[in-house]
Amino acid sequence: MGSRGATVVLSRASRIKAKLQSALEATALEIDDVSYQHSGHAAVRETSEGETHFNVKIVSPKFEGQSLVKRHRLVYDALADELQSGLHALSIVAKSPQEAAAKK
Amino acid sequence: MATINLSPLRTSPSLCSRSSRSPQNAPKLSLYSHPRPSLTFPSISLKSNSTAKPRALTITFAHKNLSETELVSVPPEAEDVAGKLPSYAGVYAVYDQNEELQFIGISRDIAASVTLHRKSVPELCCSVKVGVVDDPERTALTQAWKSWMEEHIKATGKVPPGNETGNTTWVRQPPKKKADLRLTPGRHVELTVPMEELIDKLVKESKVVAFIKGSRSAPLCGFSQKVVGILESEGVNYETVDVLDEEYNYGLRETLKKYSNWPTFPQIFVNGELVGGCDILTSMYEKGELASLFKK
Repeated sequence: MGSRGATVVLSRASRIKAKLQSALEATALEIDDVSYQHSGHAAVRETSEGETHFNVKIVSPKFEGQSLVKRHRLVYDALADELQSGLHALSIVAKSPQEAAAKK
Repeated sequence: MATINLSPLRTSPSLCSRSSRSPQNAPKLSLYSHPRPSLTFPSISLKSNSTAKPRALTITFAHKNLSETELVSVPPEAEDVAGKLPSYAGVYAVYDQNEELQFIGISRDIAASVTLHRKSVPELCCSVKVGVVDDPERTALTQAWKSWMEEHIKATGKVPPGNETGNTTWVRQPPKKKADLRLTPGRHVELTVPMEELIDKLVKESKVVAFIKGSRSAPLCGFSQKVVGILESEGVNYETVDVLDEEYNYGLRETLKKYSNWPTFPQIFVNGELVGGCDILTSMYEKGELASLFKK
C-alpha cells in the first residue's frame, strides 16, 4: 500500500508503454502523464490513483490505412485493463510510419 | 393591432444576456452564453460610462418624450456614428428616409447598436432619436423603452414595424442555446426501453450528437469544452447530452461506452456513427474535414 513508485509496482505509464509496444508493434512511442492537469476534475475525484490522464503519441504499422476511429480503438483495446482500473482519458496522436515520416 | 412583445429580450442585440444559463425547459427564451464568433457584436464597454459623462453633444441626454427628442441623422460611415451618437445605455428610435418610425430599441451602447442597424438595413436606418438612460439597470432601460413605445402607439395607433412580433429585421435572433438532452425522465423512473435503445435512437435521429461532461453552456471538462467550441464555430446544429447528469442520464456512461465501443468522453456522433473523441474532432477540424462530414 502506498508503495507506488517502488520498483515492484510498475507505474501506469510504464504499463501503458509496454502494452502498446507489444500490442501495436509501435515504432515510436511517447507517453506523458498529464494527470496533474486534470486533478480535481469532477470525474477524477472518485478514483484514488493519481495516474489518470495521458498523452500518447504512437506510430504503428497497424495504423496503415485505418481511420482515426479505428486507430484510437486499437489503442483503447490494448489498454482495456487500464481503462477499467482508473485510467480516465487519453489524448492520442496515432500515425502510421509513412505519415510519421512525411511529417519530418 | 399587431401584438408586441414587451419582453426586454426582444429589444436589442447588445442587451442580450451573455451569462445566463438557458432554463432547461424553456429553450425559446434563448439566453445564450456563447455567441458564435460570426455573430458577435462589437464589444461594448460598460465601464466607459460609469464615470462622469461629458455632456457636450447636441443630442438628448436625459431621456425625454419621444416627440420632444430631436431627430439626428445617422452618418453613413460606421466610424462617424460614435462621434455623433452616445456610446451609453439608453433607448433609441430608428427612422427611415421618410422619417417613419421603424423600430424602438434599447441598448447598452446606443452608438454601437445603431452602427449595426445602419450596416444591416441602411435603407431603414436614416435617422435616430436617442435617449440616454442614466441608470443603466435593465428595468430602467425597459421602462424607457416602454414609455416611448406607448407614446408612439398612442399617437399613431401603430406598433413600429420593427417591433412587431416575428419581425427580425432589427433584432438579430441570438443562436438558440439549446438545452442539453436528457435520456430519461429521472433516475427513479423505471425505463421501459433499455438505455442502449435510447442512445441508438438519439444518435440515429439527430445529425450531430455530442456526449459531453457537463452542460453545453458550462462543460466541466476541457475536452468537452473544446468539442462544444468546435461545434459552435462550425455553426452546425448539434445536440448535447451531459454524461455526468446522474439524475436524468443515470447509467449513461457505462452503457454508452459499450454501445460505442469507446471508453472515454466526450464522444461525438454524426449521422449515427461515432466520429471519435476530442482528439479526432480537433484533428478533423484543423484539417477542415468537418464541414464535409456535417454536409453528408
